[in-house]
Amino acid sequence: MKLDELTKGVFKQNPIFYLMLGLCPVLAVSTRVDNALGMGLCVFFVLVGSNVIISLFKHWIPSQVRIPCFIVVIASFVTLVDLIMHGYAPELHERLGIYLPLIVVNCIILGRAEAFASRKSVFHSFLDGVGMSIGFTLGIVGIAICRETLSTGKIAIFDCTIVPTFTQSPSVMMTLPPGAFLTIAVIMAMIKYKDIRKEGR
Amino acid sequence: MGEELKRILGISIPLIIICVISGAALTASYDLTKGKIEMVEQERTNESLSIIFPGANFTEMNGYYIATVSGEEIGYAFIATGKGYGGTIKTMVGMYKNGTISRIHVVSQSETPGLGTMIAEPDFTSQFSGKPVEDVRLKQDGGVIDAITGATISSRAITDTVRERAEVVMNET
Repeated sequence: MKLDELTKGVFKQNPIFYLMLGLCPVLAVSTRVDNALGMGLCVFFVLVGSNVIISLFKHWIPSQVRIPCFIVVIASFVTLVDLIMHGYAPELHERLGIYLPLIVVNCIILGRAEAFASRKSVFHSFLDGVGMSIGFTLGIVGIAICRETLSTGKIAIFDCTIVPTFTQSPSVMMTLPPGAFLTIAVIMAMIKYKDIRKEGR
Repeated sequence: MGEELKRILGISIPLIIICVISGAALTASYDLTKGKIEMVEQERTNESLSIIFPGANFTEMNGYYIATVSGEEIGYAFIATGKGYGGTIKTMVGMYKNGTISRIHVVSQSETPGLGTMIAEPDFTSQFSGKPVEDVRLKQDGGVIDAITGATISSRAITDTVRERAEVVMNET
């Protein structure tokens, strides 16, 4: 039952493909696999941190001002990540650029604080945070793999080539915003198709 | 009246406490990371200086660096800052005394990942090397620099900031 809180974020309630929350960084940063991984890591830290803190203090937060309270907590975690990354991972910090501070307004984090952490126990909120961010990371990396492969014409992770250039005319469009929408739409269609088949409709 | 005050305080005090705690935590972490971040930034400046004038020594002068090789002044290095498509673009520019660009190196930018970020790649920046300052414009603006497909705004932003700053430095020296 507890494992359920962890796995639901990865499969049944995947933030990208089922909840459809936090799509802004997914669209923007999924141009390269390493950027996507970095974004996933940051979201992991912020989501788990804010979920635990908000769940810890849920009885002291007056319901009228809960949103400002959540935002202050989330913004603090994001600033913390921003500072640490600037000092210790400057290259990734530079590549993620504006999308790192924008995690503050990523609705998956506020959404989990509001819908889950402010109601459930600390341990469950922790599991929920871990599961949701794993689901988010898997989603964004998956999209990034498709986009990077199609836009560069080769598969390379962290500069080591796995499949050498297989086409001379890669599609630049896949790096552009339409590429992100197309990739998400195709993946979503496949998931929905599978779900509908499963229900036997 | 007393009831009303109680209600307002009951709502605002927790919010104030949370803000104060967050503020304190952030101040502490800012202090802890400040030194490291300054070091990283300084390293980045030194690194970009040595990229644009390899093997030269630099002396800082109001806003730019004078590059000397074995005691002789060969050119100037300076940071050109300008607004790009997604934020500020900071470029380290090296210019010889006769007013041609030696090299440029993008120090920081927040352009569209995978597209505008290509202004930092050697394919783009190498176009500036050896060009007289007044020619540093995009081809469609009557210059010699090829814009990146799909990132014209970023390309124009960096090209124009480099030229404008270079002209200012030329007039000052």
